[in-house]
Amino acid sequence: MYRKQVRRRRAVLALLIVGSFALLTVTYGAGSNGIQRSVSTIFSPVQSVADGALKPARDLVNWFDQTLDARGRNSKLQSELQDARKQSVGASAALAENAQLRKLLKLDRSGAIPSGYDPVTGSVIARSPTVWFADVTIDVGSDDGVRVEDPVVNGDGLVGTVTALTGGSAQVTLIADHSSAVSAKVVPAAGQGGAPVAVQGVIRPNVGDPGDLLLDFIDSTKHIRKGQSVVTAGWRSREFESRFPPNIPIGEVTKASLVEQEAQQQVHVRPFADLRDLDIVQVLTGGSRG
Amino acid sequence: MILTPKILARLVAIVILGVLLQLSCFAQVAIFHVSPDLLPVLVISLGLLGGTMTGVVTGFAVGILLDCLLIEPLGGASLVLLATGYLAGLFRERFEIHSPLVPPLLCMGLTIFAELGFGAIELMLGVDATVSTLVIGDILIKGVFAFVLGWPIYLGLRRVLRPALVEEQAVRRPGRPTALGA
Repeated sequence: MYRKQVRRRRAVLALLIVGSFALLTVTYGAGSNGIQRSVSTIFSPVQSVADGALKPARDLVNWFDQTLDARGRNSKLQSELQDARKQSVGASAALAENAQLRKLLKLDRSGAIPSGYDPVTGSVIARSPTVWFADVTIDVGSDDGVRVEDPVVNGDGLVGTVTALTGGSAQVTLIADHSSAVSAKVVPAAGQGGAPVAVQGVIRPNVGDPGDLLLDFIDSTKHIRKGQSVVTAGWRSREFESRFPPNIPIGEVTKASLVEQEAQQQVHVRPFADLRDLDIVQVLTGGSRG
Repeated sequence: MILTPKILARLVAIVILGVLLQLSCFAQVAIFHVSPDLLPVLVISLGLLGGTMTGVVTGFAVGILLDCLLIEPLGGASLVLLATGYLAGLFRERFEIHSPLVPPLLCMGLTIFAELGFGAIELMLGVDATVSTLVIGDILIKGVFAFVLGWPIYLGLRRVLRPALVEEQAVRRPGRPTALGA
């Protein structure tokens, strides 16, 4: 009897392991499938409700975390922290949401988003729980006009790109994900001298550290300086076009040692968007991509 | 674990609630820049309460639901979580849980195992970018969170699943001795 039970357990274990490998093989790189679309359609409304209901609890925990974090910052940030402490948890959440929407509006009007793109605003409803994946799920999907590979921004700059879709939700792979690569250029610094030539490269992640990206494959003969801004390059050839429109702010060069530039052809970039704390984002739908 | 339709319904509810709570709340809060991961703790606790079979099946179910809702390739999370549930169940079948520190310590250790497992799956699928050393710190902090969450979640689940637990039924309060000592 006991042996029969052990055999049955082993059979279930083997079946589930084989099933997992089979599912992984079949679904890897295939985007969303029917099962995921069905489950997502059922759970999306529940997730939205849960997301809204649990927001005060999240804000409370995040408020404590931000307070702890701010203690280690300089005096300028301490004054901002004092202001933040005056706000109640609920009010700060509302203010933060308002500020994000205003920044998005400012980004839209600044000309950073080229004409022809139709921004669709969405909220982050789920986030990958492990430290290895850098993607979030947002509450807008194909029903709202979102398509796979649409770029995603927030009020600060580029966030990522849509990689999978259901009717009411979309998976956004962040620029800090290991699979991400964005063609980018460094904006020439004022007073740098010489012809204002933008240095081009590819923004790659430093997996596990979303606050540090690498601008790789740069021209080592052109010296990049700390503090220079990095924006999307947005190239176009006869047949192909970059999935990102040009001149969307990505980040700021934080470390640009000559040795690293010449030996490894890379500099470190801090993204403008806080990729650990995304709430409201805009998907740039439409555009000229065919 | 004695499975009845009622207990099965409770297990399904626990899995769904756990995944929704993780995605809508725990994954979106950050303490020391790291989000607590409730799901390995849930699977480990179920494995400790129900044995290998319960651990493996709930780990698989939690993984599949997670992958569906995150629109990730199916099977990756299931593989890691079913292995985690299996190890927790194996511990329960081989050893006695004689100290209240055992569940949280196991939750910590196996959560770190699960996070490394997620990393291994990623490497298997081809990470072609540099990996920051900060990942190690993040994984250890996740382990500490699992230690903190371990005991309340284990106790909560034991309460919810009490009618199905073999030990809980076997342990009965001894009857009051009669005057004759019979």
